[in-house]
Amino acid sequence: MTERKDWWKWLLGLWILAVVWAAFFYAPTARGFKGESARIVFFHVPQAWVAVLAFCVNLVASLRYLRRHDALDDARAAAAARLGLVFCILATVTGSLFAHVMWNSFWNWDPREISIAILLLVYAAYFALREAIADEERRASLSAAYAVLAFVTMPFLVFVVPRIYFSLHPDTIINTKGSMDMESRMFQVLMASLMGFTGLFVWLYTLDVRAARIALARRRRQED
Amino acid sequence: MPAQESLFWVAAVTGVIWVGVFVYLVKLDRRIRRIEEGE
Repeated sequence: MTERKDWWKWLLGLWILAVVWAAFFYAPTARGFKGESARIVFFHVPQAWVAVLAFCVNLVASLRYLRRHDALDDARAAAAARLGLVFCILATVTGSLFAHVMWNSFWNWDPREISIAILLLVYAAYFALREAIADEERRASLSAAYAVLAFVTMPFLVFVVPRIYFSLHPDTIINTKGSMDMESRMFQVLMASLMGFTGLFVWLYTLDVRAARIALARRRRQED
Repeated sequence: MPAQESLFWVAAVTGVIWVGVFVYLVKLDRRIRRIEEGE
């Protein structure tokens, strides 16, 4: 990683390190939460945001595949779904740790917990589908079609269902009254963390797609 | 353990995890670049 255009990756490394410091020592202790448990918001919310972003990228790449039938678009869709699933699992784990501190239970069958578990299953099934089909073109077409259907469930499971029913989950950053109820230093750290995690997603995604491009080129050479 | 001290250790572990992930990604990035250049 010696090229000059890679400067942003080093900046990202320092940026996230600064976010970690700020999350624990710059942001004040939140009111209304047990101990320092609310500090997990600086990691939990960006993880959930990256998961949503990744599923959006998965949708765009899948639609592009359905239009152009380019194998690289299929690789892009798979890379995005893989990252979405990983960040969704991380958001579930950090949420569960917070739940354990606040309510003495890792899992409370809260609407938000159930909806995130369903979302995890929906995107885990995407990979089950991919693994089940041997023919590459058929796998790409079917998984792209499935990804479009899977994405339809995402806004309902992430944004709608948890807001319809009573939930233990703390009010979201922009709450139901449309206002932001967060101390300004906490908000600064959260925004910095969101930017850092978005940068991390871009890096991970491009790495995955570059590796897929190499694999595709090798396979095409073998076929020729 | 006093709250401030345990906060320090949680921050230290989180920082170490991130440094580990970052170093791994830097190495992976270099490896992929080498393969791209060799293709």
